[in-house]
Amino acid sequence: MKRIPFLIILAALCLPGTQADERTLLIGPKTIGPGWRDNIVVQPEQFASTQAGDVLTLYVDQVKSGAQGAFQDPADWQAIAPEYAYFGLSGNPFQLKVTPDILGKIQARGLAIGGHDYRILRLTHIPAAEMVEKIIYRGPSVLMKDDWSASAAIQKSCFKDVKVGDALHFQVSRVENGAACKIMDFTWNVMDPSLDGVPVGADGLTMPITEQSQLIKLQLAGNDGVSMRVGGKGYRLDRISVVSFTGVRNEDLTHAQRAPREYALQPGELFHGEKAFPADWSGNLRFTAEPFQDCTESDCIVVCYESLLPDVDAQISFRENKGAWHDITGAAEPVWYKLDGNDVVLTLDAVMLDKLMTDGLVITGIGATITKVYILKIE
Amino acid sequence: MKNNLLFRHSRLKKRLLLAGALLAPSLAGAQHTLCNPAATPEARQVYQALWGIYQQQTLSATVANVDWNIREAENVHEWTGKWPAMNVFDFINIHNSKDVNPAGWIDYSDMTVVEDWWRQGGIVGCMWHWNVPANNGTDYTCTPGTQPGETSFDPAKVDDPSSDEYKRMIRDIDQVAGYLGQMQQAGIPVVWRPLHEASGNIYDFEGGKAWFWWGAAGADAYKKLWRLMYDRMVNHHKLNNLIWVWTSQVGDSTWYPGDEYVDVVGRDNYKALQYPLMKEYNTLAARYPDKIIALAECGNGDEVNMALWSKIWERGSRWCWFMPWYDYHYNAGQSDTHKFAGKDWWLDAFGTGLVLDREAFRQAMEQQPADKTYKYVLTKDNNVL
Repeated sequence: MKRIPFLIILAALCLPGTQADERTLLIGPKTIGPGWRDNIVVQPEQFASTQAGDVLTLYVDQVKSGAQGAFQDPADWQAIAPEYAYFGLSGNPFQLKVTPDILGKIQARGLAIGGHDYRILRLTHIPAAEMVEKIIYRGPSVLMKDDWSASAAIQKSCFKDVKVGDALHFQVSRVENGAACKIMDFTWNVMDPSLDGVPVGADGLTMPITEQSQLIKLQLAGNDGVSMRVGGKGYRLDRISVVSFTGVRNEDLTHAQRAPREYALQPGELFHGEKAFPADWSGNLRFTAEPFQDCTESDCIVVCYESLLPDVDAQISFRENKGAWHDITGAAEPVWYKLDGNDVVLTLDAVMLDKLMTDGLVITGIGATITKVYILKIE
Repeated sequence: MKNNLLFRHSRLKKRLLLAGALLAPSLAGAQHTLCNPAATPEARQVYQALWGIYQQQTLSATVANVDWNIREAENVHEWTGKWPAMNVFDFINIHNSKDVNPAGWIDYSDMTVVEDWWRQGGIVGCMWHWNVPANNGTDYTCTPGTQPGETSFDPAKVDDPSSDEYKRMIRDIDQVAGYLGQMQQAGIPVVWRPLHEASGNIYDFEGGKAWFWWGAAGADAYKKLWRLMYDRMVNHHKLNNLIWVWTSQVGDSTWYPGDEYVDVVGRDNYKALQYPLMKEYNTLAARYPDKIIALAECGNGDEVNMALWSKIWERGSRWCWFMPWYDYHYNAGQSDTHKFAGKDWWLDAFGTGLVLDREAFRQAMEQQPADKTYKYVLTKDNNVL
């Protein structure tokens, strides 16, 4: 009799979605390259058990100087909330606190993760129940004026119990459009490039502590005991809390969404991977002029694809990477290439070559998954 | 491996030189005059030296890290052992200059950095991100618009001397003229590039717009503003040490202030690939055949890595000088790589043998005949006799 409750508890712990721990929703890697052109949509079903107050954490690597992330609504590619229109990345995880408004969007349409110059490793979900939040700064409140002149001085004693794995939550009010935050050390230098001019939304700002070096910075103070200065514009800083995760990461990836496999581009390849051109015309591939600089009129562009959609007249066209995406041939109307199972081969001429080498190329279309695009050199 | 590299480099160099010889029309001996007939001998000498190298070689240039320093030039020296020939300073923060603002944190009236650069053989360039009050009443900005952080400052008020805008234009021009006048008194000519990129991307695509306030009211207001500045600086303040650089967006010939106000046509390009640069150079050189054409700003864009200078030259561009933009984060030690043009780019540029550094340009200057056709005397009131 005594073993039954134990087994029930064990079974409950093993059921996916019922464990209160950090669960992976998306597993990478997914490269978010330069120029805001890459993104990945985490599907709505991944958020079926998400609730308001839960936390999503984006883990990244290969972060280049000035890299930025963005959380967007796939419906219109607008920010999922103003504070997530863009955020600086420096290699540390970035957290999103799920509000009722965000919850409605991601459960209906999913969450698009974009930006530039970094690589997504994974996106995880932590239930609010696994987070303990403790206020460490209760004011005085500081109103950040539009001239960036105001700042709050935070004593190092506030951070004495903060540990690696925690997150600082800057709680705010009176948030205006364009509100931004700058988090500095006691010498007025920004603590990290990613914390300079960060957009501030109604839920404030979260700063994960993932490295010992961050803790050390929080304990370096001037003679006045101040170790952190919080500045910015267009909001009021009310409180700072430390949010601690009390659970463990669940390494079971059975139900996680997997990013499409990535391939290292070989010489001449413009794209190699899986890019869906769905029936809603939302798919396209865009290339700058850079890879075409050594092209000649003898060359061809070859497009390979698979997974033709049923009941869709699958086709693609080649456009100028400029303005209204006019056809690359110079024709007034787009030239469509039917996807009949064979690779599409675009033979270049002087007009196309000039457009490719000046502005680049967009391939748009419907009804297939593009797997490879490359330049074929004809000797 | 080393021998192979040397061999390849040597072949490349020969090809480049041959291409240069074939493509460059002979400019030697041609007489070129600055648009200001009262230009100082030093300005004329620099201008003639520029014509002397134009289409055969290129001048290297760096821009200050934001405003009033040679930080980027120091980077280049650290990477290559060479100093760039020109350093360009920016009057972006004049409202915080200590000579006009007791609470200021920068002092444009302190000419030490400029005088040192000139004394060491470098060309002095100046540009001006002309900040005016933002709509919120506290910030300063160049960006036109109606948002609090943008400015509704109307350049069309150049026609209305009673307007606040006109008065501010004059006040700011006078302040900058004071600094340029200090340079004139020190015998320093200035490659002067104000009011740049005025037409923005108006001609690039439908819906494009000007991104600086001085272009927000269109070409006519812009040209009037240019001419007002020219008149105020040259005729009122007697600034004769300026070589006037107008920055084209390539499709914007209706914005050109006129031959009598411009000495050099510049182009700013952050998709600096060899093919489009060649097209743009040819377009500008054909449209402004009596002007020097320069790549006034360049660097990596958001999506495109700037081509190596050897490739740009090999493709046929003959920009008189190039100037990669500064990387604030790199200079602050917050990034290991330079965002716009790092060590490898500069090593390639100097490795062509066709890019002049400060010392090479100093020698080019010395080869210019002394200007015996004009003498001037500057009075205490900064007037020319």
